[in-house]
Amino acid sequence: MGSRLICKARLCLTVLSHHFRQGNMCARTMCTKGLTPGGRKSGHRQTNPTVRQTDSSTVRQMPSFPGSVFAAGNAKRTADKLKRQAASPSLEEEEGGQRRGFTTDGLVAPERPLPPAEWKKLKEAQCHPERFERSMMMVLFKSGAQLDIAKSLLSFVAVDTGTLSYQLLLQYLMLCVRGGHNNEVLDFYPVMRGAFPTLDTGASTLFIKAFSRTPSWREALPILRDLKKVFSPSPRNYADIISGALQHGDHTEAWQLYHDVMEAGKTPLQDTWQALFEGGAKSDGGEAGSMSRADYGDRLLGVLGYMRDNQVYPQQSLADAIKTWFQSLPGHTWRGDWTTVTPKGVCKDCGSELESIQLTPEEYQHLKDRVMADIIQGKDVFKKTTPEELESFKAFVKRKPLFDVVVDGLNLLAVVCELERLGQTILVLGRKHMLTPSRSWDRHNMGLIQKKAHCFFTDNTSEDDPFLLYAALHSGNHCRFVSRDLMRDHKACLPDALTRRLFFKWQRGHQLVVYGTVVMGQRVHFQMIPPYDTIVQSSGGSWHIPYDDSVDRSSYEVPQSWLCLTNQR
Amino acid sequence: MMRLFSRRVSVALWRRVSVSGTQTFPPGHILSPRGVSSGCLLRTDKTQPDHGDKIDLDLWKSVMRSNTAADESPEDDGEEVTKGDSTGAPDGCVLVATRELVSMWRQAGKMVPDQITDQEVQTLAGLETKSSKKKFLKYLSIRESHKKRDKEKREKKRSEREQSFADNPKTDENRPAWKNSFLVQYRDHWLDRLLGWRSAQAMRFGQPLVFDMSYEAHMTPYELANSVTQMMEVEGCNRRALDPFHLHYCNLQPGGGYHQGLVKRYGADAWDRLLVTETPQRHVDVFPRERLVYLTADSPNVLRAFDPSKVYVVGTFVDRSIQSGVSFANAKRLQLATARLPLDHFLRWETGAKNMTLDQMIRILLTMKDTNSWEKALAFVPSRKHDGFYPGAAQRDRGGAAGRGRGDRDSWRDQGDRQGPARGNPGFTKSFRFTESGGAGRGGQDRGEPSRGVGLSWGRENKPPVARTH
Repeated sequence: MGSRLICKARLCLTVLSHHFRQGNMCARTMCTKGLTPGGRKSGHRQTNPTVRQTDSSTVRQMPSFPGSVFAAGNAKRTADKLKRQAASPSLEEEEGGQRRGFTTDGLVAPERPLPPAEWKKLKEAQCHPERFERSMMMVLFKSGAQLDIAKSLLSFVAVDTGTLSYQLLLQYLMLCVRGGHNNEVLDFYPVMRGAFPTLDTGASTLFIKAFSRTPSWREALPILRDLKKVFSPSPRNYADIISGALQHGDHTEAWQLYHDVMEAGKTPLQDTWQALFEGGAKSDGGEAGSMSRADYGDRLLGVLGYMRDNQVYPQQSLADAIKTWFQSLPGHTWRGDWTTVTPKGVCKDCGSELESIQLTPEEYQHLKDRVMADIIQGKDVFKKTTPEELESFKAFVKRKPLFDVVVDGLNLLAVVCELERLGQTILVLGRKHMLTPSRSWDRHNMGLIQKKAHCFFTDNTSEDDPFLLYAALHSGNHCRFVSRDLMRDHKACLPDALTRRLFFKWQRGHQLVVYGTVVMGQRVHFQMIPPYDTIVQSSGGSWHIPYDDSVDRSSYEVPQSWLCLTNQR
Repeated sequence: MMRLFSRRVSVALWRRVSVSGTQTFPPGHILSPRGVSSGCLLRTDKTQPDHGDKIDLDLWKSVMRSNTAADESPEDDGEEVTKGDSTGAPDGCVLVATRELVSMWRQAGKMVPDQITDQEVQTLAGLETKSSKKKFLKYLSIRESHKKRDKEKREKKRSEREQSFADNPKTDENRPAWKNSFLVQYRDHWLDRLLGWRSAQAMRFGQPLVFDMSYEAHMTPYELANSVTQMMEVEGCNRRALDPFHLHYCNLQPGGGYHQGLVKRYGADAWDRLLVTETPQRHVDVFPRERLVYLTADSPNVLRAFDPSKVYVVGTFVDRSIQSGVSFANAKRLQLATARLPLDHFLRWETGAKNMTLDQMIRILLTMKDTNSWEKALAFVPSRKHDGFYPGAAQRDRGGAAGRGRGDRDSWRDQGDRQGPARGNPGFTKSFRFTESGGAGRGGQDRGEPSRGVGLSWGRENKPPVARTH
């Protein structure tokens, strides 16, 4: 209505003036301006004064531990540092976050079970008596109150209203499960089943959890089956039942459930593996349920294989369980030690060398193809480049000799000079706007760089990272690249887990990151590339398992602590 | 009967216990089965009330049990029916289970609609993860609550109206006096007709503005629905404008999601009457390449001045999870000129993506066309994203406008007129009757092409387009 009124008003006033106003307009040519450089990359620069300097054969590198961008906890430290610099606002946010949650209406949990009369008094004193029970139950849950208080509340409500709502019972169930009152859960499960036709997912999960802690864990299986009707149960549900089954000695069922999880394409929780390893360590002699000891052991080795294939790193508790299991194996004398690895890739405990980080030729070829198909071309070539540019770049790479190092254009002249001093064949990748002199791109410096290295400049509208990857991969396994970018967005373009893992392995083995800040006139140092692969690995008589000793690891980092298991015959 | 009886009995029992007992609690009597796994505790649990305790803690269980016993007989029938269903078809079993889950979630206090249709259950069962199911149900429940609220409002209004009628019945004495005014009342349909005239004139002589509808595959159903809503707002906004654009909906595949959505929202009649050009052709086939300018936030070029001789292209694309570079890749593929709005030049940008919604785009472009002032046009950028204009922006803005020659303007107008009849033809799918008549169209005078004597007459059967954008 309002808009209509405005329209009418405008009509009356502007019909005539409109024609003259048009006169203000005239054509103007379009003006183009390049993108501002440097804003896109996020720096992950490390400063660690304790790192000592080592000489490497080709490039001056610093030891990877603990300064490498791929070392566990690095991102967290950087983030913490930045947060400390930003200081106060984050603290306020945290406080604000704590205040959110369920409204308790200012209720306080009573200290003992109350008779109905007192509950009634409490209820009538509230401004929202209709939600009194729920709020009170929530308060009881939060304060970790005794079960009897909750029971007396339920009894009051049951007498008062003649029935209990599902929601209230669900809250009560939460309270029971959290407090570990498993027998109470067992007791009121039939009540719940009788009163309601089915259970929702929350109740099912809670019942499964509670049942799995008791000898009657088998009751959880039908609940799981019911859940499956609607959607596949979560790994958490499976983990609960599996640990229940193992605790009560049914290994066949536990492994069956474990295979169900794997078939459903889910990653089992670390708790599951821990339970499996602990179950293996606990069962003495031949009476391992209905499963032979050797069979059980084989399956556990299969689990380790799965960890290797999927680049899973166990947490401290799981690593403990693995160690205990190995040490409990009869007929062998396994010795487990917590250790670290030297920068050269030698286990400090047993002195054996770890697997190399270099890819096999087949893996390398596979990775090369996938990078071309998925990262550079992707679904739409035009998103990152144009077909003409891609062709010209391919021809460029073919024409030039094989490169030793490919350098991201955002690196400084000093980096190129340093690499050139080492006699490397260098390719510098940049964008065309770098050629037009500006404050950040000095004409003289650019000229110098072009003299020392081969250069390729992509359109301002194209990304240069994919070209960097292409050039580095096409120059062979020896070729490394200098970039501060962790290439996570490009890694995410790869469709399958295997290729992503290969890419990450190749990246860790080939990415040079400038160490510290570059000072003009001084030599540039690079973070050291570790020559070993951080992955679960075994060689005959020994196992090396990298594990998380802290929770600060980001997904693109690798742990630095190892569990070394050696078999001493 | 049974239920009532049992409740009464238990209440009576409860009263007896609570009256006879004292109010204090022996401290050792509170149960703590934590950490102990045994059935014997369970037994103490049950026998506890018999010890002469004051409060029957398990009373609620017996109440619930008796409730169940009372309800048993009708529930049995229900279960049999569902079982019959589930054995009949596994598909039906999933649906039944889904429906039951929904009802349990409702009882558990989750955001779930009160009513759910079979179609919605089917969609729900098709969703794989728990969170996607919950999200869908939340969406349904919010929609339902909106509908309910609207309905309540309507009913309240109606009852009020009826009440007022009942209070003052319509009689000759009660009727309000006729309004006497020297102004002729301006009626709504006159306005509709006039706006229709303007749109029609824009379709004949106005500057084209292309909406590129080729992004269907990149959008989720929700996003598609959003973009249809936005397109309706775009059309409404353009229709009400002083000098509307000639809207081209290019790449609009008949029967595609976009087409279906638009027809559904407008209604088939209104859609047919809509004064826009829709075509399945690409914009590069309709217009010469050099006139097209693709507006995309990823472009490296900044749109400094609005050029009336250009045909601007806006991607009809709602990406809630930002998919950067999609429309820019499209423009690169077609080798079109690209530009982005000069947001950074005028606004102190704070947060948020620099892509605008479609209705914001049309408002910005219309204002640019009308006023040629970026300052006025960029007032339509949501204020949450920026912290005001740069102080010097206004001067720069005016300087830009002043730098243009008068001859320039004339040349574009001439060009526009010359190209007018020829250019739009391939895309025209609407039928108009253009009449070479001396009495030029009444609505056409504000734009003023009297020398050509071209007007556009609406036939009686051609009603002006209906405004349905809200």
